[in-house]
Amino acid sequence: MDDARRPPSPPLPDAGPFRRSFWRSPLRGPWLASFLSSALLPLIVVCALTGFLSHAAYNPGVGSNALFDEGVDLYFFDWPTGPTWLYALTQGLHIITGLGAIPILLAKLWAVIPQLFERPAVRSVAHALERLGLALLVGGSLFVFATGVLNIQIYYPFGFSFVPAHYFASFIFLAALTFHVVTKVGVMRAAFRESGVLRPLRGDLAHTEPEPGLEGRHTSAPAPAAAAPPTMTRRLLLGTVGVGSAALAAMGIGQVVGGPVRNLALLAPRGENFGDGPNDFQVNKTAEGAGIPMDKVGADWRLTLEVGEKRVVLTRDELLGMEQVTADLPIACVEGWSTTQSWTGVRLSELARMAGTAEGAEMQVVSVQPAGVLRQATLTGDQVAAEDSLLALKVNGADLSLDHGFPARIIVPALPGVHNTKWVEKMVWEAKDSASMPSPSGAA
Amino acid sequence: MKSFRYEYGASPVHLLVAITSLVVSAWALSQVLDVLATPGRFLLWFLGAIVLHDLVFLPLYSLLDRGAAGALTRGDQPSRLRIAALNHLRIPVLLSGLMLLVWYPLVLGKAAAGFENTTGLSTDVYLERWLALTAVLLVGSALLLAVRARRLREH
Repeated sequence: MDDARRPPSPPLPDAGPFRRSFWRSPLRGPWLASFLSSALLPLIVVCALTGFLSHAAYNPGVGSNALFDEGVDLYFFDWPTGPTWLYALTQGLHIITGLGAIPILLAKLWAVIPQLFERPAVRSVAHALERLGLALLVGGSLFVFATGVLNIQIYYPFGFSFVPAHYFASFIFLAALTFHVVTKVGVMRAAFRESGVLRPLRGDLAHTEPEPGLEGRHTSAPAPAAAAPPTMTRRLLLGTVGVGSAALAAMGIGQVVGGPVRNLALLAPRGENFGDGPNDFQVNKTAEGAGIPMDKVGADWRLTLEVGEKRVVLTRDELLGMEQVTADLPIACVEGWSTTQSWTGVRLSELARMAGTAEGAEMQVVSVQPAGVLRQATLTGDQVAAEDSLLALKVNGADLSLDHGFPARIIVPALPGVHNTKWVEKMVWEAKDSASMPSPSGAA
Repeated sequence: MKSFRYEYGASPVHLLVAITSLVVSAWALSQVLDVLATPGRFLLWFLGAIVLHDLVFLPLYSLLDRGAAGALTRGDQPSRLRIAALNHLRIPVLLSGLMLLVWYPLVLGKAAAGFENTTGLSTDVYLERWLALTAVLLVGSALLLAVRARRLREH
């Protein structure tokens, strides 16, 4: 690359962090950066894939589930209704791998920081594009991790809508990451060829030398020009990063697995236990938080089944008089926690049949909740038809508590938690004709 | 081919990947700025994250580390005991700091109002838990150093 024509480059002083000798840690170098990257990459791949799966799990193709009006929801299939723990698994992995990646990302950024100050700032057009890509990579990665971590703690200091920001920033992050991997995979191979994949982990302090550097390559992680004596082995540095990563991942695992394992989630938002009662388990949103008007969930509550112009109205006692089915299903939250409970209620397919809807029709569920995007959700025909899909009235043998959706809530296998609408007041189907028949064009 | 490399600085494949990547980023950026009611805040956080990490956070922890290293391992040939003491301080502080960095909204009660209203759970436990974890790490590390000290002194 040295023979490339150099585009105009800002003159940088040969002083402070711009001087190579400013960076003195003997541990930094292409091997360290490559080793961290090879730990980071699989975590990011799993985190990204499960993130996009979560998007599909909301079934953006039906009803008004879509996140965006402009039709930029990317998904390729209807979310299945089994296995029941599917969303608990995919979204649990999203949060666990995301948390576990944080210390490795920070260590990686530490390993390559000298390159922010490299001189000349721009060596060629290719180098300028790489540096632009790196800005997007660093900004994108910090952005998606920071917003994700704040979101699971229900803390919103950023002043923009979380979901679209996290979603689109991940495209920027992943596009920049792909560019970075393509341009740096050669450096990684060369570093592992030069130093071995694991050999630098074996050296004790007396044998912790600066890395040899890679002949004839510009890397993001040059070995230091004037290294200080080592105070730490590479093994100790990477071991510490690994312990941090494992600790954060364990907190994520505690939230997903639940039961006694929940105690692992020491500092995670869903690490607290409620108690031993039938309704003592994690609440996504309390009745108070959702602003549920008490008069609408009391004795006057009715469930309305709506098909076109037709209405069927049921009291809670009438629902309790129908065939009751019990199913063990998880509530699995997008925030990466889940809890499996034993739910009892009426099959959604039975209610659909009672309303007289077309086979396999989509169903919109509307909550008493007065406001918010998630006061309604649409289920696919398959989800309505699934054996274990219930309008639950009870949990663990007791009436639902108000926080868990009394008088009645939806529970569907493998569905993201917030689409299991609570405080249901209405189920809506399109009129049979309009749902199943194409509109007669030009018949007027 | 040679002249392309000379003019551009890398292979044509590099240019192709660069353009594809930047086009995807530009598309995503235009989408998000269009969808969000507060696009300026998005840009502020995106660029702010880079500046905050690279020019504030990283220099700050590096300076703290250099301060601790300077105080504990002065001189040209610091003893193995002094180097061990430095690491027995560094590592618990690093892990405790990592936990605070990730969970500060809960630990420092920043998330309290929204969190309690939404989940029905209190954030009161988190400061205690983090302090306890920090204490366990520091004390555990100090005890381990005391055990190792005799052997390290012999060298």
